[in-house]
Amino acid sequence: MSVYIIPIILIILIIYAVYKKVNVYSAFCQGAKGAFDLVKSIFPYIVAIMVCVALFRVSGLGNVLVDILTPLFNLFGIPSEVCELVLLRPFTGSGSISLLEDIISRYGADSYISRCACCILGSSETVFYVSSVYFAGSKQKNIAPAIAIALVGGIVSAILSCLLCRVI
Amino acid sequence: MFISLVVLIFVEPNLIINTMINQSKDVVSLCINLLAIYAVWLGILEIVDKSGLGDKLAKFLSPVIKRLFKINDAEQIKYVSYNLSCNLLGLGNAATPSGIKAIKSMEKDLKHTKFAMLMLLVINSTGIQFLPTTVIGLRASAQSTAAADIILPTLISSLIATTIAVGLLFIYKKIKKL
Repeated sequence: MSVYIIPIILIILIIYAVYKKVNVYSAFCQGAKGAFDLVKSIFPYIVAIMVCVALFRVSGLGNVLVDILTPLFNLFGIPSEVCELVLLRPFTGSGSISLLEDIISRYGADSYISRCACCILGSSETVFYVSSVYFAGSKQKNIAPAIAIALVGGIVSAILSCLLCRVI
Repeated sequence: MFISLVVLIFVEPNLIINTMINQSKDVVSLCINLLAIYAVWLGILEIVDKSGLGDKLAKFLSPVIKRLFKINDAEQIKYVSYNLSCNLLGLGNAATPSGIKAIKSMEKDLKHTKFAMLMLLVINSTGIQFLPTTVIGLRASAQSTAAADIILPTLISSLIATTIAVGLLFIYKKIKKL
């Protein structure tokens, strides 16, 4: 079902645009042209943030953080097996997906742990990546409170995911 | 970053430069992917824009957006409404270019849009999604018997988390008098 939603929206869009006498081809090209500038403007910021994240992980500080926070997360009903995922999630999308694959293959796709992990991944975002991309070159520097709030939201959704996977 | 570097000097100094360059390489290939994805979505976005459908969408969503983001500028509302609709459809990759455009247009009026920018960031980074397609795909390929049964818990937890995050931001706004 979900496979059809986007194509159907696109077909309706093109029919509507033609009906409104828009030159669909030239409009598409004009829009696509902007992609270069967009990627060019965000590139340095993604490099900076990703290099920081990689150093943090390679240095072993990431594991230290996991060890410190695991008992705290357990308190809120988050199983130890998914703690690393909760902590990795805000930093890297591809990294947390490969961790999820790992969890699924280790515990089986239908286990409670895997379902928890899937919900955690689905209900959160790569906060640091999103904020570095959105505010690439922005004059608005004071975004720390928003990042903090987003991180709190991420933990709330992790707690709820673990809770809901028990019930549903 | 500084602390990580200091730790690494003591543990494995030869890893430092390698890690940095390798990660940077990964970002280059990520950016090439993004270039492809953004080109397609920005193209589609332009059609939405030119056909006047965007204005209709903005009009439809503007009561909600005005209340949540405290903005009045038509252009800003339009980009924010693209961004929100893409997010709701689970099109994270399409949401990003429209989100950046929204931020860029808010930049012009920094005095009045500080709160709106933070709100956009919070909403985009708490991940409301109706169809977590990637995760479902992963489970299906791992022979799950009911790959889609995580949709409901995911949806509920992300909705509640987003609501709480938005609430927290409003409290922050009150304290700081933004």
